[in-house]
Amino acid sequence: MLDKILTEKFRRKLKMVFTDIQNQQDRRDEQEFAKDEVRIKERLLDTFTCYKSDIILENDYRIAAIDGSGTDSLMTLDDIRIHLLSTSTVVIDTNTQSESLFSPIDRDTLENELGEQPHLETHWHSGVRDDARLKLAETLAEIYPLKDVTSLILPFFKDFKPREITSFSDFTGTDYEKYMPRLKEMESLISREQLLTNPAVHEEIRKVSEYAAARNVLTSDICPKYLLIDGALSVFMHFVRRYPSMPSGFMLRDLCALARQKNVILCAISKNHTIPFAHRIAGMAREVFGENAKWFCHLPSKDDPEGGLHIYEDRTYIPPMLAVPYLYSFSRDNRPSRIDFDRIWWLENIFVPGDPRMTRANEKALFAELEFMSRDARWYGYPVALALAHVSCKLSYEDLRLAKEVCRDVRTEMGLDQRKAEDLRADYDL
Amino acid sequence: MKIDKDKLGELYGKVGVGNQTLLGIMGRNRDISVGEIFMIYSDRDGHERVFFFRVLGLENYLRQVDDMSRIAGTLMVEGDAYLSGIDRNMLLSLGGKMLGYAEKNEKGEWTFKSPRRLPDHLASVYRPVPGTSDEFVQEMLACQTDGEVYIGDLQVGEETLNVPVKIPIMYLPMHVGIFGSTGAGKSNLMMVLIKSIIDTNLDAIRKPNADKPRISAFCIDPHDEFAKGVDKYGIQNIINDMSSTTRSDVIGDFYYLTTHKSATTRDIRAYTREIRIHYSEIKPRDLYSIREYTSEMSSFIDAQYHANGENWIDSILSMDEESSPVQVSTLRAVKRRLSFLERSPLFVDSGTSILDDIFIAMETGRILVVNTSLMSDMEQFLLTTIVTRTLSDMRRALKSSGNLGDFETQGLKRLPHGFFNRVKQKARTFYGKDGVADSSEVRDPRKLPVIQVTVEEAPSILNPVLMRGQSVFKDISRQGRKFNIGLLVVSQQVSVLDNVILSQMNTEINLRLGNEREIKACIENASVNITGFENEFRVMSRGEAIVTASYRELPLPARIPLFDTIYEKDKDRYKDKKSKKQEEHIL
Repeated sequence: MLDKILTEKFRRKLKMVFTDIQNQQDRRDEQEFAKDEVRIKERLLDTFTCYKSDIILENDYRIAAIDGSGTDSLMTLDDIRIHLLSTSTVVIDTNTQSESLFSPIDRDTLENELGEQPHLETHWHSGVRDDARLKLAETLAEIYPLKDVTSLILPFFKDFKPREITSFSDFTGTDYEKYMPRLKEMESLISREQLLTNPAVHEEIRKVSEYAAARNVLTSDICPKYLLIDGALSVFMHFVRRYPSMPSGFMLRDLCALARQKNVILCAISKNHTIPFAHRIAGMAREVFGENAKWFCHLPSKDDPEGGLHIYEDRTYIPPMLAVPYLYSFSRDNRPSRIDFDRIWWLENIFVPGDPRMTRANEKALFAELEFMSRDARWYGYPVALALAHVSCKLSYEDLRLAKEVCRDVRTEMGLDQRKAEDLRADYDL
Repeated sequence: MKIDKDKLGELYGKVGVGNQTLLGIMGRNRDISVGEIFMIYSDRDGHERVFFFRVLGLENYLRQVDDMSRIAGTLMVEGDAYLSGIDRNMLLSLGGKMLGYAEKNEKGEWTFKSPRRLPDHLASVYRPVPGTSDEFVQEMLACQTDGEVYIGDLQVGEETLNVPVKIPIMYLPMHVGIFGSTGAGKSNLMMVLIKSIIDTNLDAIRKPNADKPRISAFCIDPHDEFAKGVDKYGIQNIINDMSSTTRSDVIGDFYYLTTHKSATTRDIRAYTREIRIHYSEIKPRDLYSIREYTSEMSSFIDAQYHANGENWIDSILSMDEESSPVQVSTLRAVKRRLSFLERSPLFVDSGTSILDDIFIAMETGRILVVNTSLMSDMEQFLLTTIVTRTLSDMRRALKSSGNLGDFETQGLKRLPHGFFNRVKQKARTFYGKDGVADSSEVRDPRKLPVIQVTVEEAPSILNPVLMRGQSVFKDISRQGRKFNIGLLVVSQQVSVLDNVILSQMNTEINLRLGNEREIKACIENASVNITGFENEFRVMSRGEAIVTASYRELPLPARIPLFDTIYEKDKDRYKDKKSKKQEEHIL
């Protein structure tokens, strides 16, 4: 292959692709960006006053973070693939008063509250028709702590249709009435069954494992001020039925409702943010606030005053439904990241109707706090709790190799046939 | 029986990687220094062992961090950066050498083996704690540290354990080397050694029934500091502390030899003798041992010695050039070389020689401190040579004899007659097994006191050029153990010493060395494998030593205490217990 890759011909091909992208995509977006430029620069982008490094907070608080990792092919047994998932919860304390900044809370206390950390899950399904959906439903039901499906689905509808639906009986007479039977079982909440490939199933379980861990934090006595999760607060909808196409969507809204109830700030942070023109916004921030500035930029939705931005007009999940995303950067060395907040919480706590200055002041206080928790030298600019959770749950290549070896060992121990845990192609030296 | 691990010290870390030679240990973030010794408890396959590990290198290790430089850079650039909960992830990665292991044999005694096994997987590593680990370490390492002549305490990094490092008397005749650059602590070590020898002899005197051997030492003191001391106390203080009986048992009438008695301080003067050696007691070989002579010169000297016997020096010095049997240039050259004898106050052609007293002192287990500060190099070397050769020839005569009658015949063959006739009666009392009659069987030289002769500035006489010829020291280095005579070779350099002496040396006390070449030579010459200790030599401080011995598997790091410290600790032991009691009674 190298003889092809290293040729001039391949380079020309790449040049054509990039030119193509530039010609079509960038040019169109460029025009859209021009429309947003002034608004971003003057009203959405801002900086804030950072905490002093020796600050002593009047009330130190806790920050919890959850991250997960896994593989959808720990072992392959004909048409069965065994999934392995690890989820880790980390809780740290700002600890400014004892001058041991952001130190993780004692492991025993944490495990007493939340069980073993990191937490491991397995899953498998076969290629038999409906088996993927059935087993996925079983796994999700087992993992997620809230077992009553009616209670699970209601928070979404309460947030999505606040004036129409507040209880299950409110479905009667609405467009949702016909779907009511489907909203009673975990299995029937999975409405994307045609797309249940192994990666999709894995993704759903991983998400739900993380949400389950988050729910455990919220119902425990840990009482953090912040609960950080990896990714976005996106809920993927069934276009026809107008409700989440997978149980994780309902679970996310359940979490948001619970977090609000417990006074916990739930936010999701993603490094891969898919926000168009993020680099241009970052450039603008440097231009306005200087090279070293720490900044954030609100990405409004169509429901906000002045409406959404032109740059993501045609992008389905930006901003995500029922969430408020921001683009931010706390270090000149990092590209901007994205952070999502629950929109209902945001409307209650950050947004002040008719008072953009007050809204901005709230945002600045929020980001100053987020920045303070993102100064660990190992991952400067990224929230330390989330980084620690990531380190703790990460299944490295080496971990996985050993896990596979253990798989083989256990099968031998059980007297089952010796099947290799390696990829099948290894048999042919491929 | 299970070892009580608490006695090993504090639990420090776990064994990570490595093999039977080099190990990597992951340990707590403590203030560790290169050279520290750790103990590793292993119970592989039911065999309890304690491995000894010496740190040769250290590295900071942060768990979960691959790029420490990046973190350091961030902390520097982003002034407000912190490291959350990092304390528990801050570890030290130690690399070092396995020194060997201790295990109990079938009889339940601790034995020590060279590293030929590996500690168990992830075995626990203990850091010795002074005050906690001393007793157990001493018990485990008894076979590696025990002996009679104390030289220092076992050093574990910058601290020492109360584990004395000693040299067994039986290995002194197999020669001891002391190597160290200026300021490394050689003089203090010599004083500590002299004190240890006095202590050993005192012990033998006080327990006459224990049949303990005595040690004699002819100690060259090039800076005249042993008697008076470098700082507060010296050997004279020990002598002053003794009751007259003890003093006479330990040092006889004198212990201090000098060129000019009148220049000695009053308290030392009472125990001083002036060094005077008769021309007749000098043999041509003594001169060949200290300086190079051409074959013409040595043939001429040998011929003169043959013809004139003990008067050979006088006959050469008074020889006319006209009557010279050799070329005038040869005669002049020989005269030139002998002329230092004429100028020297040490070497005389009439009067009382000190050699008799030296012989008697050395055969009765005493120490002699020889102030050579006012001597020229040649005088010092010649004196050492004559003494060494005389003592060894006496014992050689003894070794070649069946009874005292034989001994006298042998002695007359080997030694200058004047000297031999003066000492033979005394010699008979030392050497006769039962009485002094001709028929009395002689004693085995190995039952006589061990004689330790210091060779200061050793490279001047123990160099390959002189050792190639008829050097007295060549024989001593090879055969000394037969006669119970050992050399204490003191040198700033190892690299320039002759291989014969180096290969015969069985104990080395390696102090701080001057340069890389000497460090390399010292490591190559050590009686046990200490490769990899280069870094240690580079960071050694004054008074720190690595003691290696062919009869021990473990290279022992030792801290030589200051003479003043051990003197103050021990000064009461020199007092006669009886007289003290009486005094108390009177009071």
